[in-house]
Amino acid sequence: MAYLTSYQYYENGGQQPENANWGSYQYVSLTDIVNNFLLMYQGNHSLINNEERYKILFHAKRAIQELNYDAFKETKVLQLDVCDTLRFVLPQDYVNWIRISLFKDGILYPLTENIQANSSDAYLQDHNCRILFDVDGNILKPHNSELDMSRIAGEGSIYLNEGSPYNGQTGWCIDGDWYFDYQMGDRFGLNTETAYDNPTFRVDQKAGVINFSSGMGGESCVVEYVSDGMENGDNSKVTVNKLFEDYVYAYIEYAILNSKYAVQEYIVRRTQKRKSALLRNAKIRLSNIHPGRLLMNLRGQSKWLK
Amino acid sequence: MINKVRETVLSILNKNNYGYLSPLDFNLYAKQAQLELFEDYFYDFNAQINKENARTSGTEFADITRQLSEVMDTFTQYKALNLTAGSEQTFALPNDWYTFVDVIWLQTCEGPPTTVIEEQAERVSEGSIYRLLKSNLTAPSKEFPAYVFTQQGRPVTVGPGDATYGDLGNQITLYPEAIAGCDLGCRLIYIRYPRDPNWTFSTLPSGEAFFNESVSTYQDFELPSSDENDLIMKILQYAGLSIREAAVTQFAAGQEAIDNQQNT
Repeated sequence: MAYLTSYQYYENGGQQPENANWGSYQYVSLTDIVNNFLLMYQGNHSLINNEERYKILFHAKRAIQELNYDAFKETKVLQLDVCDTLRFVLPQDYVNWIRISLFKDGILYPLTENIQANSSDAYLQDHNCRILFDVDGNILKPHNSELDMSRIAGEGSIYLNEGSPYNGQTGWCIDGDWYFDYQMGDRFGLNTETAYDNPTFRVDQKAGVINFSSGMGGESCVVEYVSDGMENGDNSKVTVNKLFEDYVYAYIEYAILNSKYAVQEYIVRRTQKRKSALLRNAKIRLSNIHPGRLLMNLRGQSKWLK
Repeated sequence: MINKVRETVLSILNKNNYGYLSPLDFNLYAKQAQLELFEDYFYDFNAQINKENARTSGTEFADITRQLSEVMDTFTQYKALNLTAGSEQTFALPNDWYTFVDVIWLQTCEGPPTTVIEEQAERVSEGSIYRLLKSNLTAPSKEFPAYVFTQQGRPVTVGPGDATYGDLGNQITLYPEAIAGCDLGCRLIYIRYPRDPNWTFSTLPSGEAFFNESVSTYQDFELPSSDENDLIMKILQYAGLSIREAAVTQFAAGQEAIDNQQNT
């Protein structure tokens, strides 16, 4: 792709949106990656020749996907309100979550994950616990399972308040007020996921939703997540940071040679080592370790911790 | 060059009174010989690449690959293709194409502003295109278009119902189709076949044919002068067969073998 003029960069050449090219110099486009690879790494005198372009495109995209999962520090953030269903539908390009927070009064409250099941499917049963079917043989299902209804109504969680006689007991927080069962016997252990004042959540990947505990109803939720960088299939928007450009070429070269017939093993190993080394280098460079940042940490060494 | 070639051929043939080669026969053999040598360029090019990879090839004047590609490049043509009737993605190929250099996918959206997107399309096999179209990562797109080459007689585009378009001869189908409101075009860069050589003549009152290059159908050989000797030998082989004179064929084949040995 040709270099931009300053006018194109700062004001998108008078077109909208004005910020379309801001920061674009950090990135190299997918089309450039594929074109450069075809020109520089494939040919009569190269390790790779007579390879279809779509294979190179595939491996280039796979490299970018892998980088998006764990090497890039580029997270996406989506804020949505959670309604009474206590569900947050995962973003369209969601692959994995990083942090899920409650946004309230201008402050982000990071939420903890409750790994206990808080949502389930359910089948309708008769009084003998036999599953009910319709005339087509399909299982009849209720709209919500009892587990879901319980969660939406407000399941119990541990109340923590050292000044209260109910400290450490299971209670129900409804509209900001806590309710408790009568104390019966002793309690052993503490469920750390629910011993927490903020709402909790559990990601149901298959259902494509985040299920929250009852305290999240009507609140605003901020989800920080990673995508795969495929930009919903728009190849023109797929880019990769220039620090990783060489790695992507190396990845493509390795991936093709690794699956090609009759390539000597030493060549495959050589390309594999090159790929790994370039990934490490790029990660180190992207981590931006420089004296300014070290100094910042050192200055904090004598900070009083409350 | 064609007259010189013909005179040499006739000279060799007449030397021992082997026989006379008519202009019509000469033109037929000349076409055949030129085609053979033309195709040999591509095989020679491949052999030369193998030599380069084995590091048994030189540079500068010993750079045979470059010399071969220079000849092949003289047959490069550029042409905007037309859509075949009833199709929105299928384009008819020119009659003289030998092999493709580049196929350019071109989408024009009338404005204002008018936008034109053009990208090099990749050839994929008919067996692959259906899988590619269903692929999330590698489906043909405006950034990475593809084309399918369809042999004569194969319908390629299925329309509403069971209607098929195509069956029009050699053609290519481009993917993806243009977006709504835009037109799809195709530009082809290709290597064409050499034009058929035609030794044109006028006839003297005595009935003898003499060379006349001002005739509109005149066509010289398109191969370089360095191929003159090979052309003569090839034509002699065919002429020897025609007049059932084994000595001529053997002589020409022997000369060609010596020539090939020198080249390797």
